[in-house]
Amino acid sequence: MNNVALGRYLPLDSTIHKMDPRAKIAMMFMIIVAVFIPAGFYGYAVIGLTILLCLYLSKLKVGYALRSMKPMIIMMVFLLIVNVLVLKTGYPLLTIGKFSIYSDAIFQTLYIVIRLMLMIICTTILTATTKPLDLTLGIEKILKPFEKIGIPGHIIAMMISIALRFIPTLIEETQRIMNAQASRGVDLENGKLKEKIMAVLSLIVPLFISSFERADQLANAMEARGYNPSHPRTRYKVLKMTTIDYLGMVVSAVCLIVCIVIGVVL
Amino acid sequence: MSIKVNKLEHIYSKGTPFEYKALQGIDLEIREGKVTAIIGETGSGKSTLVQHLNGLLIPTAGELEICGFKILPLLKNKDIKKLRKEVGLVFQFPEYQLFEETIERDIAFGPKNFGATEEEAKELVKKVLPLVGLDESYLERSPFELSGGQKRRIAIAGILVLDPKVLVLDEPAAGLDPKGASDMMDLFIRLNKEGKTIILVSHDMEHVMKYCDDVVVLDDGKVKHASDVKTFFEHPEWMVQIGINPPAIIRLKMMLQEKGWNIPADCLDEDTLLEVIRKQVKNHE
Ligand SMILES: Nc1ncnc2c1ncn2[C@@H]1O[C@H](COP(=O)(O)OP(=O)(O)OP(=O)(O)O)[C@@H](O)[C@H]1O
Ligand SMILES: [Mg+2]
Repeated sequence: MNNVALGRYLPLDSTIHKMDPRAKIAMMFMIIVAVFIPAGFYGYAVIGLTILLCLYLSKLKVGYALRSMKPMIIMMVFLLIVNVLVLKTGYPLLTIGKFSIYSDAIFQTLYIVIRLMLMIICTTILTATTKPLDLTLGIEKILKPFEKIGIPGHIIAMMISIALRFIPTLIEETQRIMNAQASRGVDLENGKLKEKIMAVLSLIVPLFISSFERADQLANAMEARGYNPSHPRTRYKVLKMTTIDYLGMVVSAVCLIVCIVIGVVL
Repeated sequence: MSIKVNKLEHIYSKGTPFEYKALQGIDLEIREGKVTAIIGETGSGKSTLVQHLNGLLIPTAGELEICGFKILPLLKNKDIKKLRKEVGLVFQFPEYQLFEETIERDIAFGPKNFGATEEEAKELVKKVLPLVGLDESYLERSPFELSGGQKRRIAIAGILVLDPKVLVLDEPAAGLDPKGASDMMDLFIRLNKEGKTIILVSHDMEHVMKYCDDVVVLDDGKVKHASDVKTFFEHPEWMVQIGINPPAIIRLKMMLQEKGWNIPADCLDEDTLLEVIRKQVKNHE
């Protein structure tokens, strides 16, 4: 549980760590849009290379980025099974008796898996190289122009930063309650369906209750310190774009454009 | 049979950048039928250690032996559920594990997990409620409408109802009022008299002095001292070293010694201390 890599900041000293959060968010946005363009496996190769470059520059270990994929494995296997059972197009790859596995089933799954992988690695790089506070500051600045049309950038940024801040807390809490219930004989792995439902319930109910309590306390603490979302605020840290930031955005933009071109040509 | 801990090590998040060695080679023997206090600064590894006692955490190196079970690294023991019936662990702030609609059902949850029928579980609940100082009128109430201290009692009842041989409590009195805390301690002592081995994580030296038989001091994931209570409190410098505030009587003794009084080390309670002072005053006159 504690090995969940998703969303954790890793304090290293790298080029990517030093970049402006706005640039990094923009890059991630462009790359994720590129992932959604149907540019086939060539497109994914281009995106993959771009992401690998970022990964190299961020000094993160490849193993670490891959580990963030762990929670997805079950989903991927499930997807594969469904696809194999349902998709009957393309050519048969393997026939066992009356049942055959078709090529499209495999390709479809591979497609989705690669997409998910690229997106997860991309977000992992962003969150591992950017402090949550910088990240929200970046989001806030990016949303600033939209405030005129009624999008409350600051409030959204605050919500995101609180959510990010509480991910590790929530994981810890889940672990703790799991342990506490295990001491009362809960077994999440074995047991009949009814027992399993009870087991999950014994986990979720306390988790909800403590989350609501925590939210309540946080709101009170913020109000007690005079937090008012509609007041103008000053910043201790001022963001500044540098050459490397522009360069990074250009690289991602090129990646996006190449994908669009491949998508149109194909 | 006593509990034996042998070169126990625990590393959290092994193999990630967050790797942290919380226990670094614990050697320990906890006597059966006694009340043992585990003390130490915050972050010294107390909670980590006690979670090994019922197999919630598995050592990354070393081993421990408890109630005839041997817990080794990388062990996937199917009997671990049996161990959890023998060793009841009450967590720090256990009130957060309550989830059922009524108190009766919440306390009955444990026994049912260990195979008791609905009726058996209900019987057990009726027996355990008075132990924690609550009466049957609570059975049908929701655990969430109780006060913090009452919730704590319900949560402890949820473990007591399993009738474990070894009862491990992680700061059971934290955040309770003095009366509630000493009621709680009295309960544990009563259970100890009935034959249960009690292991208690505590920050309260008054409690340790008054109620416990043995003391284990953890410091930075290692055992710094392990001795019986008497020896421990005869060495107040041990407490000072690890930044623990000694009990009032020991502090008084230390102050007197500083002022040049001659107080023997084994004088640990008010009466003996008074006697010593009286004698010295008389001699002085
Ligand atoms: N799940 C975890 N993952 C990583 N590190 C942990 C985890 N749980 C505890 N630690 C670390 O291990 C060390 C010992 O923690 P532990 O909870 O055992 O301390 P403790 O002695 O019980 O402290 P306290 O008196 O505050 O309860 C701490 O430094 C803590 O940061
Ligand atoms: Mg603790």
